Amino acid sequence: MFWRILWRLLYASRGRLALAVFAVASGAAVSAALLNLDLDATDKLTREFRVLGANVVISAAQNGDAAATLDTEEMNQIEQLHLPEVVAATPYLYLPAQAEAVGNHAAVIVAGTSLDEAARMNSWWKVEGDWVSARDNRSDCMIGEQAASRLGLIPGQSVKIHYAGREATLRVAGIVTAGSSEDSQMFIGLPLAQALAGLEARASLIQVMARGSAPEIEDVIRRLSIALPGLQVRPLRQLAEAEGRLLERIRGLLFGTVLLILVLTSLGVLAAMAGLALERRRDVGLMKALGGSVRKIMRFFLAEATAIGFAGGIFGFIAGMALSEWIGERVFSVSIAPRLVVLPATLALMVLVSLAGALPLRLLGRVRPSDILRGE
Amino acid sequence: MMAALVQVEDISKTFGGVRALDRVTFEVCSGEWIAIMGPSGSGKTTLINILGGLDRPTSGRAIVDGLNVGTLGERELTRYRAEKIGFIFQHFYLVPYLSAVENVMLAQYFHSIADEAEAAGSLARVGLGDRLHHLPSQLSGGEQQRVALARALINHPKLILADEPTGNLDEANEQIVLEILRELHRSGHTILLVTHSGEIGRMADRRIELAHGRLMHIVANVT
Repeated sequence: MFWRILWRLLYASRGRLALAVFAVASGAAVSAALLNLDLDATDKLTREFRVLGANVVISAAQNGDAAATLDTEEMNQIEQLHLPEVVAATPYLYLPAQAEAVGNHAAVIVAGTSLDEAARMNSWWKVEGDWVSARDNRSDCMIGEQAASRLGLIPGQSVKIHYAGREATLRVAGIVTAGSSEDSQMFIGLPLAQALAGLEARASLIQVMARGSAPEIEDVIRRLSIALPGLQVRPLRQLAEAEGRLLERIRGLLFGTVLLILVLTSLGVLAAMAGLALERRRDVGLMKALGGSVRKIMRFFLAEATAIGFAGGIFGFIAGMALSEWIGERVFSVSIAPRLVVLPATLALMVLVSLAGALPLRLLGRVRPSDILRGE
Repeated sequence: MMAALVQVEDISKTFGGVRALDRVTFEVCSGEWIAIMGPSGSGKTTLINILGGLDRPTSGRAIVDGLNVGTLGERELTRYRAEKIGFIFQHFYLVPYLSAVENVMLAQYFHSIADEAEAAGSLARVGLGDRLHHLPSQLSGGEQQRVALARALINHPKLILADEPTGNLDEANEQIVLEILRELHRSGHTILLVTHSGEIGRMADRRIELAHGRLMHIVANVT
């Protein structure tokens, strides 16, 4: 009989209840979307951040010599480890050189590297012109936008670099915008840089891009340190901490928004239920006159609120998954997968919100049947 | 002499400064049909509400089947209404979104366990065997009142309290409802019925006449 009456109650007030379900579904959609984003996007963003360049640096143990270099043969050691987390690794030889182009002179840091690997590692760089794709290219270079601006260079023009009495003339294949110190550097093939410096098979450092969670990257560093005993292996802490702070802020924003949405949803349900409470006064008065206990009568209304929360939660979850996918692509540029664990969390939150919003129905417990039957 | 099922002892009831009942005393024996009569505002409905456990007296005692209704707690009053009282109201007071049979089952549900077959049988006895699944809005006034009668009787109450049960009915339906009440009386039910109609009043065993909250007369009808 309970379910029969409950169904009749729901059907009889379907218009008003549809409004309440709509309010709950709207809140559930946003909450589910944000919860899903929190679970999936932060995980993906963590991975995306890892893709933003190197996060591990290997350098020679300096022992007071700032210009200490390491043997590029160490690259073979790294490759032999076959670490699945290591996406790319490339040596860099930095030279403080002089550059000359179209009548302008400027001091630039020349970074000799494997340009194909550097391209993989820094896929997020904006490049005007072309990447230099051949590893042993000795005729082309890439140049940071600030250095290009100082020298008045555009892609296709030539630039001459001088270092330690040696010089080389190169064509500018592309201008790089990285938003960091690379913008004032010039990138050339490693063999050419080594020839200019007279440092055969030497590099200033090796940049490694590893993928994974913070503990996984710590593990990569530990294993590299063991495999390369004479070298310093260290994480790029600054980047990792900035990632952490940004992710914390994103999470804070997500949870704050969810909380606000829950309060607003509860108010929406409250408004719908307040109207319903007025409509139901007569029925409740009659039920009490027939011997219905407050507990038995309120059970109908609480079940009704639970049903609203449940229905709104399910509709909202479906809409929320689509919304999170859209937000993921438009805002974070990552593809978001629906997480089923969000469903029970959304349902539980929405049932709680509906029960909180159904508080006006509790006032029905105080209805005096004699007042109702007198027509008050 | 049969045992008194209802003992009303010196009952008064005031609402704010208005005295709705003023030291009313009478008894009703089991199986009796009592008509409570009087002009509007004379305290008839207040008396019925006190006996039905919907209101409490300001002073005096209302004892029904050995229970002092005025002293019962909320939970006991709820049980009292479910088990001992069958209400019939002038405005029927059916739950609009429940069918006829569900309205009867609702009283069963509050009493103990709903039994659809028994509820359907109760409706068949008042001539509504073919209207079980109609909503109140699909029934005439007389049919709605018969649903209310079936609902009042379903839990076998000790006392039937009817507040102007024919007040909203046409003559044909009034006769149907009165015939059912007569039948209930013949089968031993105790009925307290509020009415303005002298004709209906004369059908009862006794008439209790109120005016301004006071008991003016108790008149035994000669059959």
